[in-house]
Parts: sequence; C-alpha cells; structure tokens
Amino acid sequence: MTYQEFATRATAYAKEIGCASSELYYANGESFEVNANAGEIDRYSVSREAGVSVRVSLNGKEGYAYTERIDEPEKLVDHAADNAKCIESDDDHPMQTKQTYQSVKREDSALKYLTESQRIALAKRLEQACLSLDARVKRVVYCTVGYDSGAVVMENSLGLHAERSNNSSYLFVMPSVEDGLEIQTGFAFRMGTEAASVEDCAKEAVEDALGKLGASPVDSGCYRVLLKPFAMSDLMSAFSPMFSADQAQKGYSLLAGKEGREIANSIVTIWDDPFDPVAPRAFDGEGTPCVKKAIVEHGVLKTLLHNLKTAKKAGVESTGNASRGSAASSVGVAPTIFRVEPGKLGYEDLLIELKDGLVISELEGLHTGVDSVSGDFSLKAAGFHVKDGVIVRPVSNITVAGNFITMMKDVVAVGSDLRFGLPQGGYFGSPSILISGLTVAGN
Amino acid sequence: MILEETARAVLHEAQKSGADYAELFLEDNESTRIEMIDGKVESANYARISGAGVRVLLGTQSAYAYCADVSEQSLMETARAAAAALGEAKFSPNSEIKLSLNRFITPVKQPFDTIGNADRVEVMRIGARAIKSASSEITQASVRYLDQVQRVTIVNTDGVYVTDERPRTRIYLQAVAMNGTEAQTGFVGPGSCRGFEAYRDVIDVEQSAKVAANMAVTMLHAPECPAGNLPVVIDGGFGGVIFHEACGHSLEATAVGRNNSVFCGKLNTKIAANCVSAVDDGTLPGEWGSINVDDEGGKPQRNLLIENGILKGYLIDKLGSRRMEMPSTGSSRRQGYMFAPTSRMTNTFICPGSDDDDEMISSMAEGLFAKKMGGGSVNPSTGEFNFSVAEGYWVRNGKIVSPVRGATLVGKGSKVLLKIDRVGKNMWMSAGMCGSLSGAVPTNVGQPRIRVSGMTIGGKGGAIE
Repeated sequence: MTYQEFATRATAYAKEIGCASSELYYANGESFEVNANAGEIDRYSVSREAGVSVRVSLNGKEGYAYTERIDEPEKLVDHAADNAKCIESDDDHPMQTKQTYQSVKREDSALKYLTESQRIALAKRLEQACLSLDARVKRVVYCTVGYDSGAVVMENSLGLHAERSNNSSYLFVMPSVEDGLEIQTGFAFRMGTEAASVEDCAKEAVEDALGKLGASPVDSGCYRVLLKPFAMSDLMSAFSPMFSADQAQKGYSLLAGKEGREIANSIVTIWDDPFDPVAPRAFDGEGTPCVKKAIVEHGVLKTLLHNLKTAKKAGVESTGNASRGSAASSVGVAPTIFRVEPGKLGYEDLLIELKDGLVISELEGLHTGVDSVSGDFSLKAAGFHVKDGVIVRPVSNITVAGNFITMMKDVVAVGSDLRFGLPQGGYFGSPSILISGLTVAGN
Repeated sequence: MILEETARAVLHEAQKSGADYAELFLEDNESTRIEMIDGKVESANYARISGAGVRVLLGTQSAYAYCADVSEQSLMETARAAAAALGEAKFSPNSEIKLSLNRFITPVKQPFDTIGNADRVEVMRIGARAIKSASSEITQASVRYLDQVQRVTIVNTDGVYVTDERPRTRIYLQAVAMNGTEAQTGFVGPGSCRGFEAYRDVIDVEQSAKVAANMAVTMLHAPECPAGNLPVVIDGGFGGVIFHEACGHSLEATAVGRNNSVFCGKLNTKIAANCVSAVDDGTLPGEWGSINVDDEGGKPQRNLLIENGILKGYLIDKLGSRRMEMPSTGSSRRQGYMFAPTSRMTNTFICPGSDDDDEMISSMAEGLFAKKMGGGSVNPSTGEFNFSVAEGYWVRNGKIVSPVRGATLVGKGSKVLLKIDRVGKNMWMSAGMCGSLSGAVPTNVGQPRIRVSGMTIGGKGGAIE
C-alpha cells in the first residue's frame, strides 16, 4: 500500500467513526554510519526507515497510534481512538490549521555528495590522523562517520499541510592515549557543513586526550568555575525541561509563573532560535510556524516554551515549540535551537578573569546526575586547575555540584567562543561561562 | 513469520561478497504506553515497530543494514546493501544451510492483547492514589505504564532458525514533594518479563508508590550531602548499578575485544576483594532482564563473572568471540531491528555474602549510606564512573544522623571493586534500561547491601550537625 492510499483511508475512517479531527505524521529516511578500527571497517550500518503516526481527536480527547507497517490504516485509527477514550485530562489540545511558512534554507551538510566509499575513506583518515599526531595515541576507541537524510510530512483534516526534508552529516572520534602511567581518552566531533574537517577534528580530540594526562582531583571546596561551551550547553540541555510550559503546568518546574522576573544575572541572554543556521526549520512538531525569541533577556525570563495545548491552557499563543521526539512519540514541548548570546571576552581573557579556580571542560552523568525539577546537579567533571589566570594542571575524578537556577544568577562573565554541542535530541549552544562559585568534591 | 525459502534467499544474497556469516533478524513489536499525571490519564500511545536487519561478518569485519519494509524485495535489497560493505558480489555461497525451526515463548497468563486500557489505568490509579495520600507535602504524582510484546525471528548461516515472543511490562512511579521554593522527587520503576498478571503476582504497585513518595518527602527535608572521600554503604537492589557501571560494562566484549577495558587480560587474576562474586544470568524465569534466546539466536546462560574476587569470565557475542577467540556466552542483545546486536548484560548481580546488614553501618565512623541509587555512566577505557544517589543518609559513629540529598559517587571501577569490605546476605534485583551501542535493553541490576571502604562522595553541603 502506498502512503497516500494509507493516509486517505485513515482520514476517511477517522471521520466515519466520529473523530472531530485527525492528523497524520509521516517520516521516512535513510541513514549511513561507519566506524573504522585499526584501518578496517568494523561497524557499518545502512538503513531505510518509514513510519506513520495517526492522532485523532474524539469527544475532545486525543489519542495516538504509530506503525511502521504501512497497511491496515483502519486498525491503526482504532488503536488511536481506543487511546483517546481513556484520556481523563481536561486539557484541550487543538490541532493546527492551515498555515503559511517562512522559507528556510538549510545548507547541505558536508557528506551529502560523497560516495559511500569516500565516506568510508574519511573514517579511516580520521583514525589515521589521530594515530599519527602523537606517539602517545595508542588506539582509537571509536571513529565514526555518518550521514542521514529524511523527510517529514504532516497533514490533518483541518487543512494543515507541512513538509520538510533535511540531511545531516557528522563525524566523531575518541582517541586513547597512554604515557606508561595511565590511559586517557579525548573526544571531538564535527557536524553539518564542517563534517568533513577530519584533520581539524583529530587534532582537537588528541589535544583533549593529551591534556588530561597527569590529571588528578583537587581538594574539595567551593571554586570559581569557568564552564567551557560543551559543559554549559550540556547543562542547558539537561535543564531545558524547566523552560517548558508543559512541565510548569504539571508542577515540575521552578520557573512556573516566573515570566517577567529576573532568573539570571543581567549579562545572560538565551535565545530560542529556530532559524539558526546549525539546523533551521520553518515549523514545529504540530505545524505551527517557528519564531525566534529571547527566552531570557538580560536575566529576565521572557516566556516559557509553549505548544498549542499549553498555550491554550495559559491563555497565550503557541511559541512554536511543539516537539515530536520521533514520529512514534506524542506532541510535547521542547526548545528548537537554544543559544546563549555570546559576550566579548575570549577564552584567554576569561582565564584572567577567573584568576584562581577551575576550568570545567566536560561533564558526565547528565542523564542521572541532574534533577530538572529541583534544579540540582552533581556531576562528574574534568578540566584544569587555574592559578593567577594560568592553567597549572589537568583535573579529573571530581564532581561539581550546584543548582541551575542559583548558578544562572552567579554568572559573572560570558565569553565570545560560542559552540554547539553534539545534538542529542536538540541543539544547544553556549560560549564559555564564568560562575562565581560551585561546590567541588575531590580529595 | 518468514518463509524458510525467503530467509535462505536473503542469507544467500548477503553472502555474495564473501561474508563467512550472515544473519537475518525480523522484529514485530507492539507496545502501549500510558501516562497519568495527578491521577488523570494524560496521554496514551500505541506503537508497532516492525522491520528487519541483515548482518554479515567476514572475520572481524561486520556490516549491518536494516529496513522497515519487510517485503521480500526489500529484504533482498537490504541483504545486498549489507553485502556491499564487504566488496563486490562475486561469490556463490553455499545455499545448503540446514534450518530447523525452534520456537520460544514466554509463558503468559494474561496476554496484553486480552486486556484493555481500562485495566491498565486501574493499576496505574492504585499507584497514583498511594503516592498522593502518602503525605501532604506530595504535590505531584506521575505514573507511566508500558507493556510490550516483541516478536522476533532470527535466521543465520550457522543453521539457527528461531522465533521468540517476549512480553514485558513496567510501571514507573514518580512522586514530587515541594515546600514553597524547593522540590524533590522520588521514583520506583518495577518491571517484569511476564504478561499483565505481573501486577497480581510479582509487582506490588501500592508498596512501590509508597516507597517513591517516602523518598521524595525524606529528601525534601534533607540537607545537602557533604563532599569527601569516606566509606559508603550501598543498599541492595538498585544499588547493583554500581557493579553494572563500574564493572559490567568493562566485561562486555564490546570493550574487552577492542582492548578498551581495564579488565583485558585479567582472567583468573584478582580484580575484586575476596568477598565479591558476581554473575550475569539471563535464564532467571520472569525477570526483567531475562531472555529465552539471545539476539543472535544463542542460548542464554548463567555466566560467572567474578568468583571470590577472581575474574572468571566476560560477556561475549559472536563478533566479540571472533575478536577474543573465546566462545559466545549467550550475551548478544539489541533494542530492535535498528541495531546490530552486541555483547550486553541481562540480570547482573553481586552474589550474596556473609556479612550483617546492620553491622556495616554500626561499625562506620563517618560516611554515607546510599539507600537508593540513581543511574550512572562509565568510560570503559579508563573505568571511571559516576552515579547519583537518589536517597542517601549520613552516618556518624555508627548511626544514621540525617538524610542527605544531591550526593554522587565517583571513582574507578577497578579500584572500588578491591575496596568492597562487606557483602550482605540478602540479594535482590531492580529493573532498569541500559543504553549502549545496540540501543536500550531491559536489564536487572542487583546486589546485597555492600560497603566500600572509601569513595569520592560529591555533594555541595557543609558538615552535617
């Protein structure tokens, strides 16, 4: 059965069984990923995927069902209707109507026009580049090159029709270095238009690994901390649910009702910018046109993130932040592209500003060591000890603990070195951020 | 189910570029998820994941291709795509593979397709009510429910031809306690590899809900945990996540076979304190991490990992077995058809020891009692791990003096294993989802109560009065 046939039958059947409206979300894609190890391909994966989700509104309640078998549309609609029947929440979740969208141009990612064998060669080159940079690089733990392309089509019985296609490229590598005393690993990635920058990526990863050799904990205590871009963007990603109106309305966010209030130091501005060139998009997960807006402007919370449901409940407009983790998931709320507005100070200037304290370059355990309800975090960290504005030695096996809300108030400087972290469900970018105090556990 | 002829043709096609092994994995997975917030059903979702994956091996090279479309034409194209990774299709492989079907099924009393959403919601409501009524400080109860049946067919050129039906269900209960400006959460997520009867026979939803609620309320009144390097008592059950992270991942062929593990070449040497023995056992009936057959069609087994401190075994899949030149241990798993299988854990636990639970605390001058762990992660190359403590208590002079919040435990697996100085008598397990190369798979972690003589405790609190 073709998807078109499936869609027509599903829509007709939903109407027949009394659904006020119905919506289809169809996604398909192809992916390629290869991992090189010791000059050979050791993992290689290609795919073709497709799936369709149906969402119905029945007696004011909504239900979802998803399938990867493009057959039996009526059965899928029945599942969705069954699910709608058990909903007890009184929240109304309207579907989007016909919209017009701004045209966005996403630059083709770097690996789009490469052949498969060129992509494989790239992975091998990345591994070789790491190995030849320094004699202490003994192995490459993984060395991966990937390319995805896909399309999404969203349509509903209220006239909505939205579609987009995109492609993404990435490479990432983890070299392992040894100096006879210990083993350390480093990491670097490149994505989008930079995804073919092999030498560059290898150099960053190897420097990262070598920089950690000789690392040890510092004494426990409170330190001034310079969070490097990836550490800060990882934290933002972990605490982004705090900005969701859905979480706020459910009682899971301390930012509930804080719109218009100061929640961060006045030097902090955070954008939700769906048009950032890193991954621009015209519409959100329920077809609402995307808009660029400041979430935090000079320290003041301007808005929470809304989809049509939370907006209706709050009596405001959707901010275009409906999310759809995948075609199989229901509509939620999430940032589009979160970005901390860069300041003027370069990294070296920030070290001088830091004077005595720690540079934190990576945080681990973000899926467990953070509590987005309380804002508390306690995370394993690695970085450098800084004295009098100069890096004196690498630091590892420490934890850094604090509270995200308190920390945002304790920001004392914002750097100019904006970078986006490796996307894990969303895009988060930040420059280095200087914090006046975080608790460190070490010796 | 796939016709034998189609399977043969697909495997034949997959070997045309010289692969010495080919494997076809078909999956049809139906699941229902329901979410209840504050006693009201908020969302309900049904999903049918369906597709196939073809894997080929040539020595230690592997290639994987997968597709959602399981028509014969699509399977053949997928086989060609996998084969293409190894080179040109110029071989004519032996097509005389002997296949004899072996069907596995998990015995189920109440299959999920015989119950309705109303039944599911009723179970969830018991949890929501118990959370809300536990304390006036509880502001929010959330209950998430999942049931699924994964049906798989695995056919390979070693002659494996099996089908398996894997029912699983889990209920995740979360409580939030708030007092003005602060919020703390508590959670419990029991799961079982059974049908809906699990909620009658093995999972006590009301009791689990009370535990979650109590945890949130206790943590609301807890000061921040002090930081330092001190002894830590880790309770049984989910406390086993320490072993899962600090040791289990480093024993997987994924790490060992690539020389990326601190435990490489350490078989039959001492890697843990004498009081430590540990096992990975996928054969335990009805357990969350159990499997009838692994995702290469292999037989799961009870794998002895550590015996009295001596390393006895690794967790090995087919590719790992080629790299390590050791037999597979029935440990090959994957989330679904979108992942090539690799070595993973099932039900992994530290075996019961001979120490007394109370004595571990009463003989401690100062330290932490981690009653409930959160999750964590590990770098298998270095063995460095971290995990969070969801419910902790500060101990001084052998007595619990205060609950503490926000603690994390950081260390190196290889060092911590040697520092275990107590292992209790009663072992139990807890359900979790483990994420790795081959996706998220259900695993049980477990242990009796244990004590580590010294560990880095992360926290931001001052001295506990």
